[in-house]
Amino acid sequence: MGEEEQMNPTPNAERSQHLPLGVGRSALDVGRFLWRILDFVLAGIFIYAGALKAIDPVQFANDIDNYKLLPWPVSVALAFYLPWLEIFCALGLVFRFLYRGALSILSASIVVFTLATIAAKVRGLDITCGCFGHASQNWSFPSHLATNLAILAALLALLFKATSRNRLQNAV
Amino acid sequence: MKSSLVGQAVILAALALLPAAGEAIYFRDKISWRSAIAPSEMVTVEQARELGGTAIWIDARPDDDFANDHVPGAISLNEDRWNELLPQFLAVWAPGKKIVVYCSSLSCNSSREVAHRLRKEAQLSDVFVLEGGWEAWVKKNR
Repeated sequence: MGEEEQMNPTPNAERSQHLPLGVGRSALDVGRFLWRILDFVLAGIFIYAGALKAIDPVQFANDIDNYKLLPWPVSVALAFYLPWLEIFCALGLVFRFLYRGALSILSASIVVFTLATIAAKVRGLDITCGCFGHASQNWSFPSHLATNLAILAALLALLFKATSRNRLQNAV
Repeated sequence: MKSSLVGQAVILAALALLPAAGEAIYFRDKISWRSAIAPSEMVTVEQARELGGTAIWIDARPDDDFANDHVPGAISLNEDRWNELLPQFLAVWAPGKKIVVYCSSLSCNSSREVAHRLRKEAQLSDVFVLEGGWEAWVKKNR
């Protein structure tokens, strides 16, 4: 059970008492189930992306360097570091451990990579994003952008939900 | 774990440092912190010329640049048409041959990308990147 749920395991149960018997409770359960599915889908994406980059940091360092935004030593450091940060954050989503921190880091990283990709496109650089190693090599710019925005929207929805629930529990 | 959002993020960021440091140690011989290309994987124009007939020159620039001009005897192999061009290169490759890959200039990336893929996907050794690329070759030869 997650950290927020452990602190107050009954908010959904309390709310469901005001709903028609059976229907409200199952609807809430389905809702919670779907949010957990979203956790797992996002975690799977980031574990896959992180693992691909972690096994080939040389390629990922080159991919970061292709953006022409950072000095080479910084690209190398990030190539070693970012895949593991992604993997740890993804595990945070699966086990709901440091959950909001994981969501905020993943959201921030997606925003930074999306902005860097847009900046590269504006400067006329034809580069691979490096997001999914060589798997993303042939992605077009629009599909890359659409994927990033979809992932960002899902992360922000989860973060908003987790933060709201956390505030509610703190208030109680 | 009850902690602020920032606190959680800091803990995760710190945790990720450990495997990253381990990986940096593990890959210390495969990547240079000073240059995108390890010194052992780079050749100057003079060194490449000394290879003589044992070298296969690979032009990693786009097709138009290759069609415009290229190092005599060079074979075009760029990432845009990798699957089409790779068999042509493999047809002339032989064990013991050294491969010199070049792109436009010192700042281009395609030569090191192609060199990396030749090492990784074609499992070839003795793949070198020409320092300074086509610009350096033109300067020394014309």
